[in-house]
Amino acid sequence: MSYVEAILNGLMVGGLYGLFGLGLALAFGIMRIVNIAHGEFVVLAAYLGVTLLAVTPLPLPVVVVVVAAAAFALGWALQATMLNRLLGPNPVPAMVVTMGLSIVLRNVLVELYGADIQSIDIGPLQNMGIGFAGLSIGLLPILIFIISVILFIGVNLLLTRTTIGRAFRAAADDHEILETLGFNRRRIYNAALGLAVALSAVAGLLLAMRSSFTPFSGVERLLIAFEVVIIGGLGSLRGCFLGGLFLGVVQVLGLKLYPNAGPLFGHLAFFIVLLVRQSNLGLFLAWGRK
Amino acid sequence: MTLLALEGVDVFYGDLQATFGVDLHVEEGEAVALIGANGAGKSTLLRAMIGLTPARRGTVTFDGENITRQRCDLVARRGVAIVPEGRRLFASLTVEENLLMGAARARPGPWTLDSVFDLFPAMRDFRHHNAAELSGGQQQMVAVGRALLTNPRLLLCDELSLGLAPKVVGEIYSCFAGIREKGVSIILVEQDIARARSASNRLYCLLKGRVTLEGASDAVSLDDISHAYFGDRRQ
Repeated sequence: MSYVEAILNGLMVGGLYGLFGLGLALAFGIMRIVNIAHGEFVVLAAYLGVTLLAVTPLPLPVVVVVVAAAAFALGWALQATMLNRLLGPNPVPAMVVTMGLSIVLRNVLVELYGADIQSIDIGPLQNMGIGFAGLSIGLLPILIFIISVILFIGVNLLLTRTTIGRAFRAAADDHEILETLGFNRRRIYNAALGLAVALSAVAGLLLAMRSSFTPFSGVERLLIAFEVVIIGGLGSLRGCFLGGLFLGVVQVLGLKLYPNAGPLFGHLAFFIVLLVRQSNLGLFLAWGRK
Repeated sequence: MTLLALEGVDVFYGDLQATFGVDLHVEEGEAVALIGANGAGKSTLLRAMIGLTPARRGTVTFDGENITRQRCDLVARRGVAIVPEGRRLFASLTVEENLLMGAARARPGPWTLDSVFDLFPAMRDFRHHNAAELSGGQQQMVAVGRALLTNPRLLLCDELSLGLAPKVVGEIYSCFAGIREKGVSIILVEQDIARARSASNRLYCLLKGRVTLEGASDAVSLDDISHAYFGDRRQ
């Protein structure tokens, strides 16, 4: 695998990382909820996909849609039954509840599926590839990348062109005024968490097709989501997407240089981004150019 | 016919009592001014009327229905709208998107995007700007337009003149005639007493959470208002 291939592969997995971040950013931007169970939902979606593929004759694309719908319902129910009771200026109660939920989910998954490493078998598609200009890229990563781009564009259209999308943004700005215009704030929140969880679930299912997972993978996914959101900046779709791509490229390139590095290089890059943001290095460089 | 009536309304912020047994009523088609010093409880009463801070004691009746503890969005859909203090536009939305939010859950009625643009023709020019980029006067126009688009029967206006140049305040107030023409009742909170008197049929003066004066705007003397406003006893 050449470096160019590594970069392309990084971009393709990065689209999924962007989606992880988007789910987290939506929940935080609109409800000010830091969803600690975000990673567990991602893994739950992968397990749901595995089960559906094993016990039902449904084809893969249908399974993706079913998992997305189930995740939307789960997010809606979580917001409606628990998180709507914890609204207020203090974000900690919702964090504690979602943290507890993440522990429950993780252990339920171990109980049901065991702690073994799982992966989703998608048949011949796994090994198909496209070759051009001396490079060979897997068909599956390309498909996954296209899906994540489509989802980003779709969310952008939703937020700018539809009433519910504009209500999401308005709720983030000033939820009291939104209520005085006749909107039921809680129902807006239910839909927002449903969307956030559904996006992450699709991303989790797609990632499960190209890498393995265990009930304990949630923490790793959550970490990626946090890093994407912090690199890309909260409240920006483009930021999430670019942050995801950046993290994906760094991670795959790092793995190419040191195959045993795991996610180390992604975390290092994140750390460096934090350092640069904190220091006045950017200011210094701008001054140097004058 | 009485559109809105408050009886013995006590509103609290936590343990702090902000209003004490306020009685107040607004007839259909009427414009009523609430005046009083800072902290007299004017904005608090507006919040109690639309359900943002429900009254702890007493009743709020709108069109014959008790709405004292009804959820804000349901009160809004019965036909109460507010132009909040400080405008409070949705900062990340454009002007037009702000207006569309007002129209999205609207009751049937005369106000449409076009009729609001006719009320403030200048708004057409900056309809695609971000709400955060506007001047105070422009923001106030959008805030009024957004509230009107819900097609309210009662419009609550909280300090329309706050932080605006006198000329701009005049422009905003000149729209009132057009609004009242369409049968909308108005409650107006205002610091500028002359402005409040000329724009209303009746006025209430509040002092430390209590009504100290009530009367027809053109009948009460400035002397009465001054005593009700500052609370000093006439010798």
